[in-house]
Amino acid sequence: MSPLADGSPLLVCVGAGGVGKTTLAAAMGVASARAGRDTLVMTFDPSLRLKDALGVGEEAREREVRVDLEADGELYASLLDARLTFDRLIERYAPDPAARQRVLGNRFYQHLSGSLGGILEYMAVERLFEVAASGRYQQVVLDTPPTRQALDFLEAPARIVGFLDSGALRVALRPWFDAGGRLKATSRLGGLGRRAERFLDEVVGLDLLRDMAEFFQAFSPLFAGFRERASQVEELLRSPRTCFVLVAGPGEERIADTLFFARRLQQAGYRLGPIVVNRVHPEPAEPRWLAPPLPVPAAPPALPAPPKISSGPGQLDGVDLLAWLGERDRRGLVELARLLSDDQPLVDLPLRAEEPTDLASLADLGAELEERAADWRRYLRREA
Amino acid sequence: MDLAARLGRCQLLVVTGKGGVGKTAVAASLGRLLAAAGRRVLVLEVDPRENVHQMLAVAPSGGAIVAAGPRLWVQNLKPGQVLDEIVRERLKVEMLARRVLASPIYEQFSAGAPGLKELAILGHALRLLRRAAPAGHAGDGGWHAADGGWHAAATAPALDVVVLDAPATGHGVRLLMAPRLVSEVIGSGPFGALAGELAGFVADPARCGIVVVTQAEEMPVEEALELRQALADQLGRQPELLVVNGLFPPLPAGLDGPAAAEPPDALAALLAPERRQARAKAGAARGKKASRAAAGDAPEAPRAAAAAVAHTPPTSEVLSFWRHRRLLNERELERLANWWEGPRVELPQLALERGPALTAALQRLLAAALAVSGGAGAKGGGPAPGGASPGAVGA
Repeated sequence: MSPLADGSPLLVCVGAGGVGKTTLAAAMGVASARAGRDTLVMTFDPSLRLKDALGVGEEAREREVRVDLEADGELYASLLDARLTFDRLIERYAPDPAARQRVLGNRFYQHLSGSLGGILEYMAVERLFEVAASGRYQQVVLDTPPTRQALDFLEAPARIVGFLDSGALRVALRPWFDAGGRLKATSRLGGLGRRAERFLDEVVGLDLLRDMAEFFQAFSPLFAGFRERASQVEELLRSPRTCFVLVAGPGEERIADTLFFARRLQQAGYRLGPIVVNRVHPEPAEPRWLAPPLPVPAAPPALPAPPKISSGPGQLDGVDLLAWLGERDRRGLVELARLLSDDQPLVDLPLRAEEPTDLASLADLGAELEERAADWRRYLRREA
Repeated sequence: MDLAARLGRCQLLVVTGKGGVGKTAVAASLGRLLAAAGRRVLVLEVDPRENVHQMLAVAPSGGAIVAAGPRLWVQNLKPGQVLDEIVRERLKVEMLARRVLASPIYEQFSAGAPGLKELAILGHALRLLRRAAPAGHAGDGGWHAADGGWHAAATAPALDVVVLDAPATGHGVRLLMAPRLVSEVIGSGPFGALAGELAGFVADPARCGIVVVTQAEEMPVEEALELRQALADQLGRQPELLVVNGLFPPLPAGLDGPAAAEPPDALAALLAPERRQARAKAGAARGKKASRAAAGDAPEAPRAAAAAVAHTPPTSEVLSFWRHRRLLNERELERLANWWEGPRVELPQLALERGPALTAALQRLLAAALAVSGGAGAKGGGPAPGGASPGAVGA
């Protein structure tokens, strides 16, 4: 049975930007709910676009929102907002109201919690932990930010644990400033320490250091709990029941990207499920275009004006262009299949005339994906 | 004023948009376009896996500045490298620098400190541009005093424009916002000064142009509109240009009008001979262009991929699919016309693999579209599209 249909508790959708990952994640969520599982679709895409396809609004940033889908299982959607999650985390874990106020009122925090590099990934881990711990869902479909950031995301738990173990935090938490707010003399370190200090002052300025130190101090009780949560999420991501779905774009130029990502995932010990090559232009000879026939004029004009075909290089009319794209994508698939091992599921998903923008078309896409993943050898156009 | 000239007057052009819409191709062809117009241009990329060199047919940059044609250079920038250089430069003592660079604190700081990488990218661009300015240029703070020590800059050519192939939308906004955020937090020191200077630079449309690339599909359009809003809200400015890339060809007459339900086979049959005619005409036009190019200064246009595509009789499914894609494009173009004020150009989906031929073709189309676009939407798809009005679709 396809890993997409066997009820993995966690499906992680990864891939480069612009390949239709978010839409596929939503489609998998719909398919899962229709198979009777209570399902959550989570997206960490900063553009927060999942709401369009699922028909949920801004409220999904704050909580998991029930999607209005008639199915045996319930479908929920949530959008990650780094700042909101961060605020909520502080509310929950701050030991007392004073500590909470210290963090929330910190200038460093106020300015930067929404744009802090890596904070989105950090927050994703927190949110995933919350969801997994709640046990409310039988399947969670996790959409991730595009390639580079998705790797960041996967590495976030390990990186943060590494950070906590590195001693850097101890240094950051060292009381650098005296009661008067001046940098303490670090005579113990001698000339080296003074130089390093002068360097820090010159480069980032003492104001920032003061805010950062204060922030880390106020934040330290949260870090303590995070270590444990991060290792639990790490365990969850590496569980043999968790399934990674790598979504890729068609065309030969994307092959390197796809292979790079697939190898990184496998080397890191994650379970790679199907590689889905999405939006493949059908070959002209292939009868199935997945396009409902559009009405055309009942009585076409007797002598239609010539179609506008431009004269530049690479400019074709729609028929020839589709033929060219179909041929390009077929070559890409054949090449990718050749480079992958024989038992690596590779699913090609044809481009649809219309992107799914409602639940019915999402359900349709989800069903198509499951069907093709379950019997990928039969569907894949391995040979021309 | 000609839009191309206006863009060429900017020192920095930030090209951003949703992933997969052809940002890199547009950045590379824009670079070529400006270089052809006489500006000295660097196309700057910040992706760990390089792409721009492929678009311009040169060797991978590997971090260095590589010549890619007359007045045209390419560089793939690793922001971490820039930060390391700053540390080396300011600490001077190699032993000390090594200790700092190897320390976990520095590692965490440089990887995680908000806005630092973005600042490094923009700062790098600015400092390359400054090298071209006359000696004693006003406004040089402590940051620039150390220019000579930075070997990346020391070997740089004199430049007029940097075209930055920026990260995808969300991260692109972060890049443009970083200077202001950092300058609000760090008031002093060289980073504070640099951040303040860059914040002013990024907010100034005369010096920094923003080019948004999108495709006429629902999600990319949504993201382009969100980006425009974010720029207005957070930087108080507009993008200079919207490039709508990858448009499907306009529909032939008979398929584009109001329609009734009827199997389209009859129409397909009707279309076939006419398409052959049109193809013959297109071939003749190409021949004429090539001879013009050989005589004049236009770059030699590579032969179209059209010849490589075996002729396939259009089936009703294919025609229907073409129609679907085009109508989807037109719907989204209309949405853009309603919500997007300012210059907008349209580029067709080309049957060319990623590479120099695609870059050259896009350059030609961009040049034609920008020439007629004084501030309104314009077509880059057809020959001599003069008189296009804002939001005109489905010509």
